[in-house]
Amino acid sequence: MTRAVTVANRLLAALKASPQLALGVAALLGWLLLLALSGLLQTHDPQLGDLTQRFAPTGTADHWLGTDNLGRDLWSRVLSGLPWSVGVASVSCILALLLGGILGMCAAQYQGYPRAVINQLVDATLSFPGLVAAILIVAVAGRGFWPLSITLGLLSWPVFARVVYAESLRLLAQDYVTAARVMAVSTPRILLGHLLPGLRPVLAVVLTFHFADMLVAESALSFLGLGAPLGVPTWGALLQESRDFIIVAPWLMVVPATAIALLVVSIHLLGDGLSALDRARR
Amino acid sequence: MMLAALAQRAARLLILLLGVNALLFVALGLSGDPALMLAGEDPTPELLESIRAEYGLDLPAWQRYLVQLGRMAQLDFGVSLYTGQPALFMVLEQLPATLLMAVLSMALTLCTAVPAGAWIGLRPESAARRFGAALTAVAQGIPGFVMALVLIQIFVVRLGWLPSLGYAQPAAWILPSISLGFFLAPKLCRVVSAGVAEAMQQDYIRTARANGASMRFILWREALPAALPATVALVGTQFAFLISGVVLIETLFLWPGIGLLLLHSAQSLDFPVLQALCFVVAVLVFAVNGLADALLRLMDPRLRPATQ
Repeated sequence: MTRAVTVANRLLAALKASPQLALGVAALLGWLLLLALSGLLQTHDPQLGDLTQRFAPTGTADHWLGTDNLGRDLWSRVLSGLPWSVGVASVSCILALLLGGILGMCAAQYQGYPRAVINQLVDATLSFPGLVAAILIVAVAGRGFWPLSITLGLLSWPVFARVVYAESLRLLAQDYVTAARVMAVSTPRILLGHLLPGLRPVLAVVLTFHFADMLVAESALSFLGLGAPLGVPTWGALLQESRDFIIVAPWLMVVPATAIALLVVSIHLLGDGLSALDRARR
Repeated sequence: MMLAALAQRAARLLILLLGVNALLFVALGLSGDPALMLAGEDPTPELLESIRAEYGLDLPAWQRYLVQLGRMAQLDFGVSLYTGQPALFMVLEQLPATLLMAVLSMALTLCTAVPAGAWIGLRPESAARRFGAALTAVAQGIPGFVMALVLIQIFVVRLGWLPSLGYAQPAAWILPSISLGFFLAPKLCRVVSAGVAEAMQQDYIRTARANGASMRFILWREALPAALPATVALVGTQFAFLISGVVLIETLFLWPGIGLLLLHSAQSLDFPVLQALCFVVAVLVFAVNGLADALLRLMDPRLRPATQ
């Protein structure tokens, strides 16, 4: 209980100190609320069209964001695509975090071959365009939630590995780690008990920006027709559909484009706030 | 030292190429029987046999892999499963269009982001410049392909000033280059402004100002050169990301470059072309990274090995 209070107090102090972080957290809470209520807030069935209501522009009484070529409500479609995209980004982030975290810590702890192999692997992967590799894999593995999430996770773990490696090297040279080693604490315990807590601030920053990157990657692949399966209106897929109607119905493009930009900008705001906090702590 | 760094880079390229190659080989095996795909509709068993013999598909997998590796070492990637043209030739034919767009957008990025970054970084505390910095942060959050869609909507559909498609007339080069520039410009702007702002805090600049050097002199002779290495490093490390952007922008504008070729070949599972594409992309990134590295060493004496 007291621990929770201390954490809450520290959080409040951090929020007061940085208006940017406060804004980012507020935006995040707003998005989480939208995500949790995405089913309830839909005013129409996102898949069911009303052919008498085709191409209703933004601001129409019954469809406040407008409708598409089949008369489907854009607001409901934008909302129903959100959980899918957030799901893909979350799974791929967790996978990348686990893989990159473990391999990064191993590279820092075990000198010689493990370090050389892991670092070469990281550099090689990072020097190849991620989207190109993702297109190759998804073209063969097929569309769908799991193929896409796993592909993105497997391609992006080096981002975490590189940061974790650099930060772990710094932390492993600290006196408290040396003290633990002298007291014959086992290596796994040092990595998990002594190293991991120190990595948390850096990981929070990288994770935040990476989540935004994964959202963009998902929408880009869906936009290319290689991400979300047909019938799932993720924002990238909505943008793809809108291309046929850019002259008659610009709102079909403007609404999902604005949604993506708003979501990514609010996550970046949070990330910038967190990294300022991390810098201030050092 | 320089040679050792180069050798390490070459080793990395080799690992990458082998990795991608193995991946594509496994993918080819998973994607079904290529002989069936080549034979067209209702193949006779004899036809399938002859195709297998012709393409070496009757050999065991490890032999096929080695044969393919051997051919790749001689830059022979085979012929496209659809056009029948040599795969590498198809890629090299599309490469100039991609390079044209990359060079144009890079020039555009440097010409806008560096001055903007310098302007913000020179006096980061003023209100107007703080607004500029916030604007860059927002721009960084907008995905490049989304920005491209918005630009098309404004300049092609609403204003009708520019064509959105076509490669023959230079007017059609404008929008793709600007759009691609958006993938890197905000990041670059932030790096330059951070570099200039940091330089302005240094003692030697304060001394120069105290001695009455003009702001222009300080910016051009002291602060910007100090921010230059970070700029070059960013361009080098972000080049792979730029290629990802190329794929999206080429698809959007139907630009006849390697990005469009990649998408089409991936959709039709044209593996020889995909192999050649990956090879060319990897070599391209390798070359640009190496160039950026060499430039960095030239600019920053601290990176050079100690000489006697």
